[in-house]
Amino acid sequence: MPADLRAVLHHANPDLSRFDPLERILFFDDFDRGLQGWTALIGNYEHSLDSVLPEYRDLRPPMLSNLTAWDTGTAGSFSGTYTLKLATRPRAGGMAVAVKRTTYRHAGPIRLEAYFTFKPEAGELRLSETDVRAAGVLFDLQHGDRQPGDKLRVMPHIRYLNALDGQAAGRWQFKQKRSPLHAIGDEGKTRSHFHLSAEGWEDLPGGEQLLCYNEIATKQNWHYLRLDFDLASMSFLGLRCNDRSFDVSAARPMTMPAMANLWCMLNILFWVETDCDKRAFLYLDSVLLSAALPDELPDEPSA
Amino acid sequence: MRESQTIVIARNEEWRGAFATEPCEAAWASEAVFFIRTLSASGAGAAQSAHVQISPDGMNWCDEGEVIRLPGEPGVSFCRVTHFGGWLRLAGELSPGVSVRVIAYLALKE
Repeated sequence: MPADLRAVLHHANPDLSRFDPLERILFFDDFDRGLQGWTALIGNYEHSLDSVLPEYRDLRPPMLSNLTAWDTGTAGSFSGTYTLKLATRPRAGGMAVAVKRTTYRHAGPIRLEAYFTFKPEAGELRLSETDVRAAGVLFDLQHGDRQPGDKLRVMPHIRYLNALDGQAAGRWQFKQKRSPLHAIGDEGKTRSHFHLSAEGWEDLPGGEQLLCYNEIATKQNWHYLRLDFDLASMSFLGLRCNDRSFDVSAARPMTMPAMANLWCMLNILFWVETDCDKRAFLYLDSVLLSAALPDELPDEPSA
Repeated sequence: MRESQTIVIARNEEWRGAFATEPCEAAWASEAVFFIRTLSASGAGAAQSAHVQISPDGMNWCDEGEVIRLPGEPGVSFCRVTHFGGWLRLAGELSPGVSVRVIAYLALKE
């Protein structure tokens, strides 16, 4: 299809016109249509749930929310009524996570776009602008099983650090450093690492950005996020949030040797962290993953 | 086809003394079933239970009326709720010396 015809069709659709997808849309999730594959993250286990690593035991699951505030009632979402909501426990450091698990067909550029917002629970009549610690997104990727050369698992991590230990931050970060791997159970098939730990985050050079938090805890503005990554070189291609495009040349993903059962994995994971003993909420209105796919996919593995 | 979601509101969690599950948003649903699956229990005593609570805002709670039994040995119990507004949770208080290890579910349907 000619590119200009594709653009006309795309922009004629009000649901899609707010996105800038690459040529092929892999999924377009608006949570008015339900969960669409987004689920809770649990750590790996074998024989018993007691074998789950401690940090993974209570990552709170997603739910569908219509953004109802105690003072103004229901707002609905950026488009429609329902959002995917993540809510931490009211304990500093607490996290809530949603993950969608897929695989990929072609090792080329992928683009993740989302409309999101985050707020603390509005339990106090105060601005509470430093109560949410961070909101983040990561890919969990692995080469195909016929990849020539070193076969890797690659985990690009990006988060917006809103505040840390009560101090306002307002900057984007990435994580390259890995956490130790632990064997799970005794059958030798599964290992786990807690890659969402507080340690190892690095500031993205030039990554300072102030977001529209608004002026009370129940007012929330929707933000646009775009993350570009290349599955061929396993490197960051771009990051955009609202009016700012960031230079990601210094950002690096975590890499580690490929694992036995994760070939061609393409998982997307969103999470939120609270900085204090108060629940933090992340809301996703819609998420779109797109790819640049060649017209015909070769049978041989990509070089 | 109906929308549906089962949320694991507590997994391999030990309840003792006063407890409450985390708030779950459920405005899209018209029916809810709470399940409690007891993995293990300790401390003899009278039957233990939790009660359903609802809220207009996820922060201020009141008793809805439904009660769910906490099985004293491995087993599953349930209770049904309708007309619950936008939030649901379970709350309760176990007798001194009693604890249960549970998986608790909220099964929502449109």
